Amino acid sequence: MSIATVFEIALAAVVLGLAIWTIAVPETYSATVGFVAYGLLVALIWVRLDAVDVALTEAAIGGGLGGVVLLGAAARLRDAEATAAERPDRSTRLIAAILSASIAAALAFAILILPDYAPTLAPAVVANAGATGMANPVTNVLMAFRGLDTMLEKVVLLLAVVGVWSLASDRAWGGRPGPRHEADPNGVLAFLARLLPPAGIVVGIYMLWTGADHPGGAFQGGAVLASMWLLVIMAGLADTPPVSSRWLRFILVAGPCLFLVVGLGGLCFGAAFLAYPVAFAKPLILGIEVAMILTIAATLALLLAGAPERNT
Amino acid sequence: MTEFLTAAVGLILTLLALGLVSILRGPGDADRMMAAQLIGTAGIAVLLLLGTVTGVRAAVDVALILALLATFASIAFVKKGLSRLESDGVGSAEGK
Repeated sequence: MSIATVFEIALAAVVLGLAIWTIAVPETYSATVGFVAYGLLVALIWVRLDAVDVALTEAAIGGGLGGVVLLGAAARLRDAEATAAERPDRSTRLIAAILSASIAAALAFAILILPDYAPTLAPAVVANAGATGMANPVTNVLMAFRGLDTMLEKVVLLLAVVGVWSLASDRAWGGRPGPRHEADPNGVLAFLARLLPPAGIVVGIYMLWTGADHPGGAFQGGAVLASMWLLVIMAGLADTPPVSSRWLRFILVAGPCLFLVVGLGGLCFGAAFLAYPVAFAKPLILGIEVAMILTIAATLALLLAGAPERNT
Repeated sequence: MTEFLTAAVGLILTLLALGLVSILRGPGDADRMMAAQLIGTAGIAVLLLLGTVTGVRAAVDVALILALLATFASIAFVKKGLSRLESDGVGSAEGK
């Protein structure tokens, strides 16, 4: 057994142990910290499995934005937890545990009965990489071969924002999401919020650009841009935009709309819905991705900012 | 050289596991958050070393994302956890 295998087994054991602890720990705040650390470690495992695209997404969502969403939920629940000491009774918890365990068992069973050579389209994807002029097979699948799925996913993201906004009270409708953050303008946080975003914006654009030929893409880039925007907001250097503002709504629909327009263009001038003309495939896909990175950044940031709650 | 780098990965993974112990033990939220920070930094080091050892160049990109997002997450932890760390006062505006 090589030394690398020993590391891999140790890493897997540590991740499993951390996952069990995250579920078992009673305090929500501790569980959130555990979940963020879990996301970081799972990203390491994805790199080890040569799935760098997945590792990028896991690092951005599992280790970063997802943890912050859970943190916001934990902060809101904290007051409720303090006042109501009520806990779900034994049978409820038992039923929840049985349900979760049976889902995990079903997943494990499904993986175990997979044939040794699972049916795969991977060779076909690699063979047709030339059709779009891009070398990253994941981007090819997401933007060209299964473009419809990606387009509908972006619409789902938009619906999620509508869902979050609909939680606003009538009085606050059209207002700004989240509290107005205050911080010492000469403090460490404000300094970091001035220092980090320029580097973060470059990394976000780099992620989009490198996604054509190497792991990366609009989603990972958008997640980085969203976190940089939220950093500036949390440091009190900028305020969240009112949800009634026209430019914000325009950015939110820009990505899916451009995707839809290009798709309909394929229907009119090409073979099928979302069929790119071979000569313009790469510029068209890049154009969609540029609109998409802005939409994704705005969507993720607004999902984290929450429902509108104030008018000033 | 590869053996040396692999040994370095092993050393950092060990330190990372020690950081996990600190997350488990606590006792305070601030201790847990600092341990999560340490794990983020150690994860970046492991990714950079792994990328060199196995020749996966894109591991550097994952390290970049991790560096930015881990910083962001720890700031959010401080901002949102503040009202709990300091029972009232400065942090109370964040919990709204």
